[in-house]
Amino acid sequence: MLLQYANVLIFMALAAIVATAMLAISRMLQPRNPNPVKAQPYECGELPFGHSWVQFNIRFYVIALIFIIFDVEVAMLYPWGVIFRKLGTIAFVEAFVFIVILLAGLAYLWVEGDLEWVREYRTAEEEKRAREEEREAA
Amino acid sequence: MLDNVQSVKFFLPELILTGAILVLIVYHVVTGKKKSLFAGYLTVVSVGAAMLIAGGIGSGGARDLFFGMVRIDEFSTFFKVIFSLATIFAAFMSIASSEVNGRRQTEYYVFLLSVTLGMYLLASATDLVMVYLSLELVSIPSYLLAGYLKRADDSVEGAVKYVVYGATASGIMIYGFSLLYGLTGTTSVAEIGRIVASGVSPLTLTVAFILVGVGFGYKIAAVPFHMWSPDVYEGAPTPVTAFLSVGPKAAGFAVLIRFFYAVFAQRVEGGQWALFEGVDWVTVFAVLSAVTMTVGNLVAIVQRNVKRLLAYSSIAHAGYMLMGFVLLNVEGLRAILFYLVVYLFMNTGAFLVVVLIANQIGSEDIEDYSGMGIRSPFLSVCMGIFLFALTGIPPFSGFIGKVYLFAGVIHSGLYWLAVIGVLNSVVSLYYYARILKVMFLEKPKSEEELPVGIYAKAFLAVLAFPTLLLGIYWEPIIRAAEASARLLGG
Repeated sequence: MLLQYANVLIFMALAAIVATAMLAISRMLQPRNPNPVKAQPYECGELPFGHSWVQFNIRFYVIALIFIIFDVEVAMLYPWGVIFRKLGTIAFVEAFVFIVILLAGLAYLWVEGDLEWVREYRTAEEEKRAREEEREAA
Repeated sequence: MLDNVQSVKFFLPELILTGAILVLIVYHVVTGKKKSLFAGYLTVVSVGAAMLIAGGIGSGGARDLFFGMVRIDEFSTFFKVIFSLATIFAAFMSIASSEVNGRRQTEYYVFLLSVTLGMYLLASATDLVMVYLSLELVSIPSYLLAGYLKRADDSVEGAVKYVVYGATASGIMIYGFSLLYGLTGTTSVAEIGRIVASGVSPLTLTVAFILVGVGFGYKIAAVPFHMWSPDVYEGAPTPVTAFLSVGPKAAGFAVLIRFFYAVFAQRVEGGQWALFEGVDWVTVFAVLSAVTMTVGNLVAIVQRNVKRLLAYSSIAHAGYMLMGFVLLNVEGLRAILFYLVVYLFMNTGAFLVVVLIANQIGSEDIEDYSGMGIRSPFLSVCMGIFLFALTGIPPFSGFIGKVYLFAGVIHSGLYWLAVIGVLNSVVSLYYYARILKVMFLEKPKSEEELPVGIYAKAFLAVLAFPTLLLGIYWEPIIRAAEASARLLGG
């Protein structure tokens, strides 16, 4: 019954052997003369500065979320564009609805101010005062 | 099987919900972050319309839409009505609650509607991808709802726990899906069921069953996947708690039943299903059911916060309902469906009383409920009705729900499970009655009468009436539940 998984097992064993062998061979053959420039982490040619364990601004996260939505949109529209002529009007309507929904999302986050890098913040004090004013107005 | 264009007219309820969500987002963009009653009423109207249309479409027989992605049948229609009522009740509770009248009300109702749309899809999903997507559509707005009071520490704490648990559970579940896909080479649930029935490796199937079971178990908050629920239920605004403990839980049961009965069991004659060789998930879930109700009830005894107590009680009720799930016959399934209807009214009602009292005294601790019987007799009597119904005492509807569950278990010969269930009901009487004892027998801290608005009273009556009526005249509901269960997968 389990014999059908034998090739998976053989594959795993082969992968382990090949990977270990490559590392071992390169370790045996490589010349070893480290210097400070060579020991630097590779950053696509940029000169590294500071430590990599720094806190990133939380707003990168929001930007990444926004990016993903439109990234997915493009990924969906490519195959759509390829067969668009064959599918005709229905495909056009479908993509139109899809984009209108996304546009509503874009309008939302624009109004919310998520596209602005420099945002206004209220301190807890200011927030409290604003709330009280609101309550009085109501 | 219908294609995309033919499907649209049977997909009208979901389209209405989607439209309402978009309208609310645009409304929020145009008007800004103000308080608004419009959002609440639009939610009620659109969900009500979706429910009526879904009922009309569902009675027209079973249909597979969008090339077999979703299935409109009596089973999904039954659940859609439950979800819609849960959402409408939650919307009215939110309008009445002083907790949810902050500035971002429109967004709140957008989340509520999104969860409803997700539940609609989850109850009718018949494709692995669709099951996963709709489960996430239920989960993600639920996290946002749970953390809606973003300045309250316990709300944020609950939401973070919810996210972490939810992400882990759905990750494990989708790993199980990938195993099923690897076994069968298709994502269609019905097709997977057919291939599994023709014989696959029992070991892989067992592993897939465990992984998928974790994902669904998290959604219905069955022990041992329940740890998120007390914190989420306590921290979230009370209308959200009432909603989460009814709506998404019912959706979890819908997908659990549809998925497990299609994939891990085989339909045989006479409203029965049979298990496959080597994958005895029925015993696993019978034990889970016993453990779930016992843990829920025992931990509820020591709670001092009413919301937290009701959270544990809702875990216990998931345990009761799981009893019907393991019977592999129509009798068990119809008992679950019937119990969900009863549970919808009694649980929402109990939470509504909590909201109304918290609006006035600003507390959810049991000791602060002292003397409510004098301060507001109407609220207290309603609370009594809901709590006795939750216990399962005749003549309230909870009793009838439990009778059907226990009768099914006994007919199937699982006597040990029935005994544990009855013992648990006795335990639950203790902590439900404790709330009532504080309300009626203890001296009030102040003699001041609690003002309750006429709309709040009417709403309470709307919830209390079915709780009483279904204890006396339940025939139509059980018949609808039976029809839905009988046609499942047929």
